[in-house]
Amino acid sequence: MSKITVTFMVNGKEVTLKVSPKERLVDTLREQLKLTGTKEGCSIGECGACTVILDGKAVSSCLILTGQIGGSEVLTIEGLEVDGKLDPLQQAFIDYHAIQCGFCTPGMLMSAKALLIQNPHPSQEEIKTALEGNLCRCTGYKQIIKAIERIK
Amino acid sequence: MLSYDFLTTKKLDEALNYLDKFSRVQILAGGTDLLVYLHKESSRLSPFDYLLDISNISELNFVTPVNNYIEIGPLVTHSSLISEPIIKNNFSILAVAAQTIGSTQIRNRGTIGGNIVNASPAADLLPPLIALKAEVELTSKKGKRVFFLEEFLAGPYKTKLQANEILTKIKIPRLSNNYYTDFQKIGRRKALSVARLSLTLVTKIEEEGIFRDVRVVPGSATPYPQSFPESEEAVNGKSIYNIDLEEISKITSNEMVSITGERWSTPYKRPTLAVLIKRALKKIIQEAKTNE
Repeated sequence: MSKITVTFMVNGKEVTLKVSPKERLVDTLREQLKLTGTKEGCSIGECGACTVILDGKAVSSCLILTGQIGGSEVLTIEGLEVDGKLDPLQQAFIDYHAIQCGFCTPGMLMSAKALLIQNPHPSQEEIKTALEGNLCRCTGYKQIIKAIERIK
Repeated sequence: MLSYDFLTTKKLDEALNYLDKFSRVQILAGGTDLLVYLHKESSRLSPFDYLLDISNISELNFVTPVNNYIEIGPLVTHSSLISEPIIKNNFSILAVAAQTIGSTQIRNRGTIGGNIVNASPAADLLPPLIALKAEVELTSKKGKRVFFLEEFLAGPYKTKLQANEILTKIKIPRLSNNYYTDFQKIGRRKALSVARLSLTLVTKIEEEGIFRDVRVVPGSATPYPQSFPESEEAVNGKSIYNIDLEEISKITSNEMVSITGERWSTPYKRPTLAVLIKRALKKIIQEAKTNE
């Protein structure tokens, strides 16, 4: 299995990496780039913990091979903060206690961020649709939805 | 352990050259099914030495009206099917079916071509596409072949796609104004649900309220989606004013069981499919009456 060279943008910075043909985007982020904010949960695209924003859209980074994304732009949870200041969405999650164990939180935030990029004033129904691929087993969805609603 | 080399290209020509030059090539598009199989090292994968990524071939991503057809590129994602006005205006059932697939993350990557080629018994787009009489165009270095989708499917997870071919186009004939369509689906829950059962109904309703050119295609009801000729014949020629819905629903359920035989799921699926065909007929009848 010969390695492939891929160049893409991560959180505004260009990276060029050698990756294995089996390497998924979640592996590259966590293991090569040490961006461990992105979590791996189910590994089959059902839990949403590994959600990142790829070219403006929420995707499961466990279902993408890094070799596929040459020339693309990836935004991870680490890229939300600007100059040491939290993204308003992150602050809202704190203010509304939308975090308990925190494992689903990066994925929740990235799904919510992708929604707000495309639709700055979503209805509650649209928020629920955007989050339907993100499972949370402890915080509860109500606080999360409330936090997102505050942003609009 | 899986072991393979990775090929990627932005040009269809080059992809076809790869398929011509190498053998044992697995094609990768949106990856929402394939990456799961790779992760699980699923037995659904045929052994392969090369993985050919076609997800960046922009010439396979289009929705274009051409004469009496709408042509769709295989790389069009489920999200694009939902948001594309041409699809919404011409084949709303396709947008409705796409909306029920997986989650936002899955719909943003999963493609119509992948849904067709993977040919899952529960593939949500296949019943509406079959009912719309969609055709698929396959391209290889040697030329093109065109099939009706229903003939292209060859079994659960099986199609007539040859190793040197790529699905390059889906063609759907436009429907005239007197056609009505409906898609019904039942899943275990709303989000992320793999269809437990679905039903697509496409039919013409003539001026006097008579059903013509009826197409009934259940999903997840048979080993792979197919039209139900007995049900179609039963509705054909009936009037929207006095059709016996009970009788039709029995015929549809019986037709399913005649194909599958009695299974563990039959006590659930028999009455449920009966409800779905009744719901679809009722909805279309109501719409037709409002349009009078």
